[in-house]
Amino acid sequence: MLRRVSFVAAGVVIVVVAMVAFVGLFMLPRPGPLAGPPTSLHLETVAAVGQANEWPRPNDPHPDWVGYLPTTTWTVPANSTIQVQIDQEDGATGLRNPFWGKVFGTEGGNMHVTYFDDQGNPQESDMTSIDPTQAAHTFAIPDLGVFVPLLGVNPNAPAGSTNVITFSFKTKGPGRYRWQCFVPCAAKTVFGNGGPMSTIGYMGGTLIVT
Amino acid sequence: MGAFRIEEADRPHLVRLLIIWVILSAIGIVGVLQINYPPYDQTIQGQDQANTLKLLTALATPVFVGVVMMILYSAIYFRRTTPELVDGPPMVGNTPVQVVWVTVSAILVIFLAIVGIATLSSENVAQAVAGAGAQNNELHVQVIAQQWYFTYRYADYGGVETTHLYLPVNHPVELHVTSLDIIHSFWAYQLGVKADANPGVDNIFHVTPQKTGGFEVRCSELCGLWHGHMADSGGQVVSQSDFDTWIAQQQADFATIAKAVPSYAPYYFPLPLTKGS
Repeated sequence: MLRRVSFVAAGVVIVVVAMVAFVGLFMLPRPGPLAGPPTSLHLETVAAVGQANEWPRPNDPHPDWVGYLPTTTWTVPANSTIQVQIDQEDGATGLRNPFWGKVFGTEGGNMHVTYFDDQGNPQESDMTSIDPTQAAHTFAIPDLGVFVPLLGVNPNAPAGSTNVITFSFKTKGPGRYRWQCFVPCAAKTVFGNGGPMSTIGYMGGTLIVT
Repeated sequence: MGAFRIEEADRPHLVRLLIIWVILSAIGIVGVLQINYPPYDQTIQGQDQANTLKLLTALATPVFVGVVMMILYSAIYFRRTTPELVDGPPMVGNTPVQVVWVTVSAILVIFLAIVGIATLSSENVAQAVAGAGAQNNELHVQVIAQQWYFTYRYADYGGVETTHLYLPVNHPVELHVTSLDIIHSFWAYQLGVKADANPGVDNIFHVTPQKTGGFEVRCSELCGLWHGHMADSGGQVVSQSDFDTWIAQQQADFATIAKAVPSYAPYYFPLPLTKGS
């Protein structure tokens, strides 16, 4: 009798200790923020990954898909300023939600854009928003509050032209943050959100903050 | 049918089990009533749900205790210690036991039905579902789902669109949930709200925040690659003055894109559907 009760009591104690340990591990304080060095990201957005100017992927299984290049998994330091340059080579598709034509979450709340006007002349300026119908893609990391619309290359621009968009944003603590495009830029798919919009490695990926 | 009788040798077990069951059930009920149940009390509707959950848990506790107790007790006291394989005594129908079993079950089910009907008939639920008794000063907020994020428009503030949902405390809110593309589901569980977001549909829900603090919004309808990330932990219930300050800032920010955003409407059919269309 006593032996049996002892077994039951021991079992209960083990379960309770295991539960406390399990909860305790998740409640341990985490390291505080440490400022990291400024980091830069240089990216390219293209209408077809097989025909990119800078980082072409001719052997890609979907060479005619839109995409970010050279990769869609980026590793950056925590609590740091990330300077981004995007060489945008694609034409405009337009945003389904025009609200995303506004810049959010960048330092200064704006971006610097070099582009071509309707006469095909090069221009550059700081912008806080763009015409939503002229968006080719967006650079968006929702969990960091970063939403940047990327102006499509004007059809009157010289062939092979590129818009260059530069901005910076700050990272938070370590973690994995998804990023995505909010332009329905996947040609010939339902709502433009299939294919490259729904496949890692093209119009979405992960920002790994370490 | 066999007569209901308990062997003399089994009576100590029965008495022991009854005593243990009553004590553990009482302790269990007192314990589960101390738990703060989700979706907590940030809204009146959420508090109703939490109270219902607390009641159901309290009712289930004696049943749970009884089942676990029987298993453990049997494993300890009725364990077969000898290696021989022998049939137990034959089991036959027992009318009194069946009557008790059916009667107790029926009472529980009828009680729950009464509780359910009373809850559905309450003013809070009626207000949440149909807006019955809704006050004229409701804040109208549109929830716009899109692959893969929620945005919000405040109809009473010029249709300003925001990336987070802020609500003033103690102020009734009328939520209008819609989608720009496929089917999503708006789920703010601390608010006690879950509503389908369908394209071309204005799904209306009413809620009244009663406590300040943060809440999380997430999609609860599988909607594609980033469904698991379609969430925002930046929702806030704030004081009226803080809300006024916040919405003024949002209106100022929104001014830069306001002209390009369509006028507030119950739902939208935006283009393009596909690239180049």
